[in-house]
Amino acid sequence: MRAANEIDFWRGLALTSIFINHIPGFYFERITHRNFGQSDSAELFVFLAGWALRLVVSSRSNPLNSKRLVLRLGARALTIYMAQIVITMLALAIIAATSMVFDNPLLLEWNNAAAAFQEPVPTHVGVMLLTHQLGAFNILPLYVVLMLGAPLIAILHRALPGALLVLSFCAYVAALTLQINFRTWPTEGYWYFNPIAWQFVFILGFVLAKDDGLGAFARRHLGLLRPIGLVVVIIGFWLAMIDFEPDPTRMPDPKLFFVFDKTFATPARVLHFLALAITFAGSFAFVHRFAGPIAEFLSMLGRNSLNVFCVGSILSLCGSVARYALGGGILVDLPVLICGVGCLGATAWLSEWRERLRAG
Amino acid sequence: MVVGMARAVASGMSCGWRAVSRCLLASFLGFAGAAQAIRADEPPVSPPALSAFCQAPAGDIATPEPLPHLAAALESKRVVRVLAIGSSSTVGVGASAPSNGYPAQLEQILEKMFKGVQIDIVNRGVSGEVAATTAERLKTEVALERPDLVLWQLGTNDALARVPVDDFVETVRDMLEWLKEHQVDTVLVGLQFTPHALKDEHYTAIRNALRTLASAENVLLVRRFEAMRFIEQATQVDLLSADDLHLNDLGYRCMAEHIAHAVIVSTFLLGRQH
Repeated sequence: MRAANEIDFWRGLALTSIFINHIPGFYFERITHRNFGQSDSAELFVFLAGWALRLVVSSRSNPLNSKRLVLRLGARALTIYMAQIVITMLALAIIAATSMVFDNPLLLEWNNAAAAFQEPVPTHVGVMLLTHQLGAFNILPLYVVLMLGAPLIAILHRALPGALLVLSFCAYVAALTLQINFRTWPTEGYWYFNPIAWQFVFILGFVLAKDDGLGAFARRHLGLLRPIGLVVVIIGFWLAMIDFEPDPTRMPDPKLFFVFDKTFATPARVLHFLALAITFAGSFAFVHRFAGPIAEFLSMLGRNSLNVFCVGSILSLCGSVARYALGGGILVDLPVLICGVGCLGATAWLSEWRERLRAG
Repeated sequence: MVVGMARAVASGMSCGWRAVSRCLLASFLGFAGAAQAIRADEPPVSPPALSAFCQAPAGDIATPEPLPHLAAALESKRVVRVLAIGSSSTVGVGASAPSNGYPAQLEQILEKMFKGVQIDIVNRGVSGEVAATTAERLKTEVALERPDLVLWQLGTNDALARVPVDDFVETVRDMLEWLKEHQVDTVLVGLQFTPHALKDEHYTAIRNALRTLASAENVLLVRRFEAMRFIEQATQVDLLSADDLHLNDLGYRCMAEHIAHAVIVSTFLLGRQH
């Protein structure tokens, strides 16, 4: 296994935050970083996914020709797709079982599951097409779309490195200006994570991962950018503390450029995230020195991100079930947190143990 | 005069001088006839009575509260915009077609009542959502859709997710105040009824908190739980779908009728007070 590193560490943190944030009403929801600024763990997760893609595309130790690269990225998209289908089915079964055990049909509504039980015929097709997404199970569909686009991103990057970010930005601007989003089906609505907007966060991770283009610029001017980032983070913190949010009705058109909206990854969120990234980039060494076990633990989670993410999604739902059965409050939530984070660790550890056995 | 008479109708006391017969009818139908009695000086709008299977005492459905912005929009004869937001009952899960969900049925009832006025109800329900998640997107939806009225169906999922009552109340209060500041009327549509929920303390606590909050904020709350409990116990009509999960078309019909009557009574009774 690779040694603990910064990317895995932050990804581990994102995975832990996602687990916590996906339990509605959870006591520890208040400690995740979304409460202290405008962006949250979703930006971190998607940005790092783009970053990781770049490491594969531009690997110096294991350079891949275009054909092998396309195959590899396609296989990754398929793996993520299968993960999404499996966790969705598990979640539906857990919701159904909870409803049966507690004899409460209202529980079948949880996480946008109602359609699967009420209108199973089209909804099963929707689950397969990723157009029906359970609540809190909606980031992997975005990831599948991004990975399906990954071969195109990789080829475009190799052919015209400068064009990628420009094109991505144009698509982002178009999505926000014209309010374009993917539709859901059979339930009428839109994707919670709009792929046309969120691809911009992914591409930012992609271009910043290496020291060329924007990545070179950021590294060269780190001394200047970091204080700016810090100021933005502090302003963001202050705005969050006073519960400030721009009033969408008073914003000029196109409004989505000025509001804090997660579906469209609006500019305030992206800027806040970039400021966080630039402020805290490199702080891993510090964390590793003074809080070694935490750094090692989160890095282990991050190294096994897909497995940990999937188990985390199911655990969040189990957390909701526990809270329903036992009531909320810190006396229930603390054991839920400890068990949940423990299970995330166990998932990562088991995944690595299996790898070690295989290698051995 | 209008307001005074309307109040009389609402409280079931004496009737005004011009519409004695209508008033009698109104008293007879409870809620149902109220709007008819008010507009005595205009071509009468004929409110549909509650369907037989949707009959519930007015007191179980809602206490009228002012809806000044909706009243003004109706009077101006322009297109009236309504934003329906909330969880599965707003989405219309379990309805045989989207047109049988509650927002579409409500639109039909209201358009029939206010002939010549176009009412557009935009449906932005997301199944399983708690109030805090709805609140996150509500302001942007209001900015984009510019509604005169927001119908916010809420509470069931918060109760089941054991969202602390204080957090729930704070979320809803902040949103109600924001909507008031932005001159948008709000109708809260309360929790679903199942017999199981009667024994659930947190469910009851959220339900009571919503009722207290609505009355403190002078916001119209359609008490679905009470109305549905009455209907189910009185008539034994199965308002839930085959697997007991959801209001089926009939249930959505009652939901739409109850909201329509609460809105109509509130609009005409109290709309001009503010």
